[in-house]
Amino acid sequence: MNEALIVSNLVLWVVVLALLLAVFALARQIGVLYERVAPMGALMMDNGPKVGAASPVFTLTDLAGRPVNIGPPALSSTLLFFLSPTCPVCKKLLPILKSTAASERRWLSIVLASDGEEAEQRAFIRRARLESFPYVLSTDLGVAYHVSKLPYAVLLDERGVVRGKGLVNSREQLESLFTARDLDVASIQEFVGQHA
Amino acid sequence: MIGATSATLDPVLTYALTRGASLILLVGAVQKIRDWNGFRTALAAYRLLPEGLVMPAALALPVLEVIAGVALFSIPFRVPGAALALAVLLTVTAAVAINLLRGRIDIDCGCGGVEGRQRLSWGLVARNAVLMAAVALGAQAPAARELGLIDHGTLLFASLALYGLYASASQLLANRSRLLDLRNNA
Repeated sequence: MNEALIVSNLVLWVVVLALLLAVFALARQIGVLYERVAPMGALMMDNGPKVGAASPVFTLTDLAGRPVNIGPPALSSTLLFFLSPTCPVCKKLLPILKSTAASERRWLSIVLASDGEEAEQRAFIRRARLESFPYVLSTDLGVAYHVSKLPYAVLLDERGVVRGKGLVNSREQLESLFTARDLDVASIQEFVGQHA
Repeated sequence: MIGATSATLDPVLTYALTRGASLILLVGAVQKIRDWNGFRTALAAYRLLPEGLVMPAALALPVLEVIAGVALFSIPFRVPGAALALAVLLTVTAAVAINLLRGRIDIDCGCGGVEGRQRLSWGLVARNAVLMAAVALGAQAPAARELGLIDHGTLLFASLALYGLYASASQLLANRSRLLDLRNNA
């Protein structure tokens, strides 16, 4: 009798641990799913300057003291990239941004925009080696584009017209802004909607 | 029991609680050390310490966790281990709560569990409160009883099971913030 209880107890423990393992594995897979099922293309929120509308004009000075004009007609298109030193996804996108800057140099210049404490931003620029990018601090710029989530990107063409914008979490989403510009649609979501 | 001022727990229960907590602390410390740069960044993002103190604190926290974890695992040193563990848990939970009250929920917890990165939430505070209650309960003096072979088996399985429950709860908490992200983006 006693022996039977001991055996049954052991069997139950093994089953309990196996079930816990299964619960954990399931929870983990759900977590992975939540991360993967991110919407395709750079996500657009329906506020701020509309795609196809002229950008508000800003005359700013970057942290290195160089003048940065946003909005007026320029020689090349401009990608405004809103980021912050505390946003983990922004860090993930920095290498992608650097390679984009190199590969799209012909037609695109990239401006990084943030706001907040200057010392922290300078430390971030040093740490992430962003010295080659114009880096502007302006709360008004973020407000003008209704940036509520980071990292957020706005693509302006040479005439200062907004050609694409949205929340970007990956290389694909960043490139979708360029694709949207090439296809002349407001966002990849709209494109998929038209062709569905 | 005559003369006992309060009911005492069976030693298997108290030891299982402290050993479960010990596993949680040790795994947490190992994860923090493995991704030490990530942990340091997360700690700095809490914006509670002056810049010069972030480095020493990022070193001290995992070390304290290891000491508390080892002491909690041992039977003779489990009471001081529990005191240290409670101090560490209270500090980090207060740090999370302060940032939640400041409204800064978008920072990485830096908790270093098996669930990976997760953001701050009141769920984390609740999880830590339960963990602290378990540590405090496990530090109580147990009823006098000689432990046999089966008791040691129960102890092993029960502490592993407690760890499993903690890991699953943490994973579900981490999932919740990922789901919120998805909803907010959609």
